[in-house]
Amino acid sequence: MGSFLRDLGVLYRRELRSALRERSIVVNGILIPIFLYPVLLWSLFTALTFVQGQSEGFVSRVVIPDPGPFPELTAALADRSDVRLVEGLAPDSLSALVDRGEIDAVVRYEAAAALPGNVGVRVSFDRSEGRSRNAIERIDETVDSLRAIRLAREAAALGLDTVALRVFEVEAEDVATDEEGGRLFLAIVLPLFLTLMVALGCFIPAVDATAGERERSTWETLWTTGASRGSIVLAKYLLVATIGALAGVLNVAAISLSLGSILTPLFGDQAEAMGLALPLDAIPVMMAVAVLLALLFAALMMVLAVFARTFKEGQAMVVPAYYLAVLPALLGSSPDRGLTPSVALVPVANVALGLKDAILGRDEPALLLVAFFVNLACVVGCLLLARSLVLREEVVTGTFEGSFWSWLRKRRRP
Amino acid sequence: MSDTMLEPVPLAPITVEVEGLTKSFMEDGRGEVRAVAGIDFVCREGEVFGLLGANGAGKTTTLRMLSTVLNPTAGKARVLGFDVETHGEEVRRSLGFHSASTALYPRLTARETLDFFARVNQVPSERVKPRVDRLIERFGIGEYADARVEKLSSGMKQKVAIARTLAHDPPVLIFDEPTVGLDVLNAMSLLEIVEELRSEGRTVIYSSHIMSEAERICDRIAVLHRGQILALGTLEELQDATGLHYLQDIFVKFVREAEAERQ
Repeated sequence: MGSFLRDLGVLYRRELRSALRERSIVVNGILIPIFLYPVLLWSLFTALTFVQGQSEGFVSRVVIPDPGPFPELTAALADRSDVRLVEGLAPDSLSALVDRGEIDAVVRYEAAAALPGNVGVRVSFDRSEGRSRNAIERIDETVDSLRAIRLAREAAALGLDTVALRVFEVEAEDVATDEEGGRLFLAIVLPLFLTLMVALGCFIPAVDATAGERERSTWETLWTTGASRGSIVLAKYLLVATIGALAGVLNVAAISLSLGSILTPLFGDQAEAMGLALPLDAIPVMMAVAVLLALLFAALMMVLAVFARTFKEGQAMVVPAYYLAVLPALLGSSPDRGLTPSVALVPVANVALGLKDAILGRDEPALLLVAFFVNLACVVGCLLLARSLVLREEVVTGTFEGSFWSWLRKRRRP
Repeated sequence: MSDTMLEPVPLAPITVEVEGLTKSFMEDGRGEVRAVAGIDFVCREGEVFGLLGANGAGKTTTLRMLSTVLNPTAGKARVLGFDVETHGEEVRRSLGFHSASTALYPRLTARETLDFFARVNQVPSERVKPRVDRLIERFGIGEYADARVEKLSSGMKQKVAIARTLAHDPPVLIFDEPTVGLDVLNAMSLLEIVEELRSEGRTVIYSSHIMSEAERICDRIAVLHRGQILALGTLEELQDATGLHYLQDIFVKFVREAEAERQ
């Protein structure tokens, strides 16, 4: 046992030293998680806010071919500084002009059947254009205010109070604090990013430690050293898992530290009140989830990459595992979904949802424990499979030409 | 009479024993293929034992079984008395494996490479540094010992690779087609190192398909063809048996006879 651990330490240090000197591993495993994703998020939100602001700043170009039936609306729209009424266009070409983006909306009137004097307003717009969507919002707003004025006038004529005509008043009161809103945002974003980053962090080291080793011809040399085979496999596996976990934790730390600044363009001053930092009590769960996911993804990716004979081949073989690993984490993106007994049995999704619940402060230890053991069982299964594959002669010598799936098919053939 | 007889020269101890060693593979469309078909030989201390054969003769498969990368299908092989199947780790600690490719970690320095291979082959911690320093001095790699291997020229890499093979001071060395891809000067320098290793009392198993190399450095030569040893002996013994002078002619004669017999 002492010799095994000594070998493991020597091999692990060698793997780590080589990995940390490999630019693609450092970039994907450390630099991208720390810098790229926060910067990307910030750029995305800033760009969204900019586009939204630009679109709100545009003056809506509205055409009313026949203002006759509802002149108040024409007058009210003409009074708005953010609406310009366009005249002199041929009535039969208006829809095409909206479609081409040359005008933003066309208002036509129809006689409403319900009561004499009522007017139906038909607005043609293009929902795929922000300017056109803004135009219909402005028209709606104007119609609403005219309706309110008309109702008040009619009610006064009948001697009624408009407040009484409302019958029901609905007033929504949000009992959630800004901080709770912030937690919900974190709970949706962080588990997904953690999963993505851990998988990304494992990706290159898993390929490098297997296919890369074979491409450099060091695989067989390593196999002829005095170290036990188990320690060689375990050292490689631990290296992949270390980089994966590191990538996940660094990314979550970077995002939770910078999220306040990132979201300022979107939420304004509210971003500060939301307290967008990872709650202290969720940190142990986050660390455990990062490690567990790293152990799982490392084993899964090594199972696939071990058949590759070149780095490129390895990348192609591992990509499907990357998507397969990340897909269940998308479950956690739905705001109302939490960890339930049935979801606790689904690997990856269960820990992502467990982390989400922990951030929201509604985690159930029993379910977290189930999720932990389910993932642990998968880790052990994948690891045993990886070990047995790595020890196979055709894998050691690289004589098997194909992927894990073709190897499986070949074994099933009588 | 006994006074006039020469004392027989005691044979050096056996370090590698191979008995009926066989390796078969299952191949698509070809069924079971015997890459090595029941070979026997022994190697002794201070001997360079040549495995001579064309590509596909079974040389690398034999060496892979000796270094425990592959398990034999049948037969036995022992290195310093350790069975390759049951005592793999002990076998690997007793031998150094050098292949045609330098097989070095590009992102480690030469010194780190030697340190790693010494430690991973169980050299006690306190002896690693002196051992590494000695190898750096012996192979004249001090000038670039702290440069990453990826920055070295192929000649320098070759030296580091040989030093790495010796990192744990193994008594048995395997050289699998080591001069493939080397220029004349580097190939010559490698052969000189192999001769030095023999003079140190190490056993060297040297696989090659280059006759001149085998003629120059091998004490005994096994001619391997289709997984079988067709002939085994010193160059003189092979010359006597065939009446031919050059190893190339001897090799071709054995192979052609075997092929004719096969048909």
